[in-house]
Amino acid sequence: MNIRNIFLLLALATLFACEPSLDEFTTSAGSADFSKYVSIGNSLTAGFADGDVYLSGQLNSFPAILAYQMQAAGGGEFKQPLMYDNYGFGNRLLLDASIPSPRPAGVTPDERNFASVAGDGPFNNMGVPGAKSFHLVPGAEVYSNLNPYYRRFAAQPGVSTVLGEAMAQNATFFTAWVGSNDVLAYAYEGGASDSITNPALLQQAVTGIFGGMASNGAKGAVANIPYITDIPFFTFMNTKLPYYGLVLTEQAQADALNAGYAPLNAFIKSIGSTDTLAFNVGPNGFVIVDKDIPWGIRQMKEGDLFLLTLPTDSVKNYGYGSQTPIPDNYVLTTTEVTKIKNATDSYNLIIEGLATQLGLALVDMNEHMNTLATTGITVDGITFTEDFITGKAFSLDGIHLTAQGNAVVANFFIDAINAKFGADLKHVSPRLYPGIYYFQ
Amino acid sequence: MRRIVLFSVLMSLITTTLLAGGYQVRLQGHRQTGMGLIGTSTFGDASSLFYNPSGLSLMKTKYSILVGGSAIFSTTSFNLKNSVYQATTDNPMGTPFFVYAAGKITDKLGFGIGAYTPYGSSAKWGDDWEGAHLIQDISMKVIFIQPTLSYKINDMIALGAGFVIATGDVGLHKALPYGNATEMGQASLEGKTTSFGFNAGVMVTPNDKWSLGLNYRSEVTMGLEDGDATFKIPSSVESVIPAENKFDAELPLPANLDFGIAYQATEKLLVSAEINYVFWDTYDTLKFEFKEKPELLNSSNPREYSNKMIFRVGGEYVFSEKFALRVGAYYDPTPTNKDYFNPETPSLNTYGLSFGFSVKPVKNLAIDFSYLHLETQKSERSYTPEYFTGTYKVRTLIPGIGISYNF
Repeated sequence: MNIRNIFLLLALATLFACEPSLDEFTTSAGSADFSKYVSIGNSLTAGFADGDVYLSGQLNSFPAILAYQMQAAGGGEFKQPLMYDNYGFGNRLLLDASIPSPRPAGVTPDERNFASVAGDGPFNNMGVPGAKSFHLVPGAEVYSNLNPYYRRFAAQPGVSTVLGEAMAQNATFFTAWVGSNDVLAYAYEGGASDSITNPALLQQAVTGIFGGMASNGAKGAVANIPYITDIPFFTFMNTKLPYYGLVLTEQAQADALNAGYAPLNAFIKSIGSTDTLAFNVGPNGFVIVDKDIPWGIRQMKEGDLFLLTLPTDSVKNYGYGSQTPIPDNYVLTTTEVTKIKNATDSYNLIIEGLATQLGLALVDMNEHMNTLATTGITVDGITFTEDFITGKAFSLDGIHLTAQGNAVVANFFIDAINAKFGADLKHVSPRLYPGIYYFQ
Repeated sequence: MRRIVLFSVLMSLITTTLLAGGYQVRLQGHRQTGMGLIGTSTFGDASSLFYNPSGLSLMKTKYSILVGGSAIFSTTSFNLKNSVYQATTDNPMGTPFFVYAAGKITDKLGFGIGAYTPYGSSAKWGDDWEGAHLIQDISMKVIFIQPTLSYKINDMIALGAGFVIATGDVGLHKALPYGNATEMGQASLEGKTTSFGFNAGVMVTPNDKWSLGLNYRSEVTMGLEDGDATFKIPSSVESVIPAENKFDAELPLPANLDFGIAYQATEKLLVSAEINYVFWDTYDTLKFEFKEKPELLNSSNPREYSNKMIFRVGGEYVFSEKFALRVGAYYDPTPTNKDYFNPETPSLNTYGLSFGFSVKPVKNLAIDFSYLHLETQKSERSYTPEYFTGTYKVRTLIPGIGISYNF
């Protein structure tokens, strides 16, 4: 054997396929068919987080996570109208750990984020941030031109509808999580503007969506609506500033406020009410605008909620809540909270009824949110709570989920799908998804 | 001068991919590698310095010089449990080497010095793979320098011992849960150390046909002190965690007790078997202690390795003065714990098959080749503290070349 042969032999040996192969994980779809999965919904479906739609948020949207797990059970490609970077429309929030508080990223986004990506469609993920139930169905064609997120990927802005585009894809499986914005848009403004969708209108829309998506025999999973007043946007500020947080240290301050509100108190008494304003040394309820009482101004009581948008500087330095009533759009009153809960209950009855009627898997997101808010939810050693930032479930806008939160939601969908259709989709570990993002 | 240049080139090249369970590497001679990494009861040249120092007084020639190296091509595949997610490593080529020089001062006394690389590891999973929070990439390089004396008491018994000066460095990257809008945070840890140990053995040769060898290599503790820790974190987090820090950590290089037996079946055929007992249970926990913000950063990471026994068989057939052929095989059970399996050291139960040969173009000078192929069992492993579970499989191909000059 000469040396040249030896080298040749060694070279050949190293040319063997170096990469050891593993069998891909497979599982069962049960009676479902995941080959063409389309998701329909709002910001929660789109992967909106931290105040914006951005690339990594979209890649970690709950439908994207779900679609990935479906791929082990015959699932196909899952196309989303992706942004080109992580700054979306330029509203992305990041946590500044040195304050510590969220603040805008302040980065100019990629120009292409503002251009239409409809040419890459149709998209499996038909989540449109901001959309209420009735914005998704035929009759709302104009919405595809008005909503900047949908206009980005609508096949024909002004003509398309989300349901129309979703149905045209002839899905074999769908998820629909709609209705949150039907109460959230109102709640977000402290009930000062916008309105709660009439349950009859929502019923019409949801019937069209669920029925339409299932009309070709597709199976699907739908989620009901949580009590949105449990999310950090409505709870966090109250942990920092309680409703009785107007603390007076001197009698002179109390006297001045009592004198200032004396004419209003006289009016309140004159119409036969005893619900007057009163100030003492020590803690007092903040003064707020409440349009549900005839005289429009009162002191806060237990159950009234400050919103995350409350300008705390104005409270501290400019007499907000004392000399000046805190404007309606920063407070959700107990009356408004009750209206939201009642509407949510009506919506959920409709959603649950339709799910049963159409044989769809139902994800009880209302119950899951309730667990999150009371005991927390522990998955793979991570405990998620409703707490802002430290609770890990909600992103920096206090409304939308983190990628880890989306993983937990995807697992809820997986449980419901497995139970209903005898499928064997596997859970994902939230540990493999990002949590909070920090400033620069 | 040329030798110094060669040595420094070798030094700069070595990044040794893990091999014999854990992060031990036994590629310290091509004759031994060709025979399934057997060398405790065989002797003849300066490579005994590593495998059993007592062999130096039994060398067939007065002087022996060996230089060699191997190229390790190792790939680990990973499949995340319950997912279609798969990843494979992109490990750099590992290059363990050895340099030995030995001579017989008298008929009974042998002396030698050698430099070799008995431990090392390198794994490169990439910055964005799903286990990035456990490890992105790691590289561990260790060089042992060993002056050695061997004494032949009589025709039957020889002793040998060497003093080990170990220098090493370890560098690793892992993802931190402090990312900004576009990328994950990253920790890089780098440390260097010099430690000491010994290598001692005995060889018993009751007759011309049989030889028995027993060897013990002590544990060497690599104490990394004042290593450099750099955290690539968003600027706003730097108010909480300093971006530059120092750390202490300890990595044990386990002791080995080897027993081998060799039989010269015919003039041309040598067969041998051996057992290596590796004291891996010393690698219980990997602790990092930081100088600044220890309350936030210190970590104690369970590894829970256990002692393991490796079984080897091998043989050599000398066709002529100019050509010898070798084959070997072994089973190397992993010392790693299946619940504390960190992909930084993807060591699994491994089967090894080897062959090798030497050609002597001129008298005294041999060119030695070896080839070792390693396959692991496909195994599901977890790192339970981080709930990270998946199936791993490793394939490793190691061609090697060296020169022996015995005169």
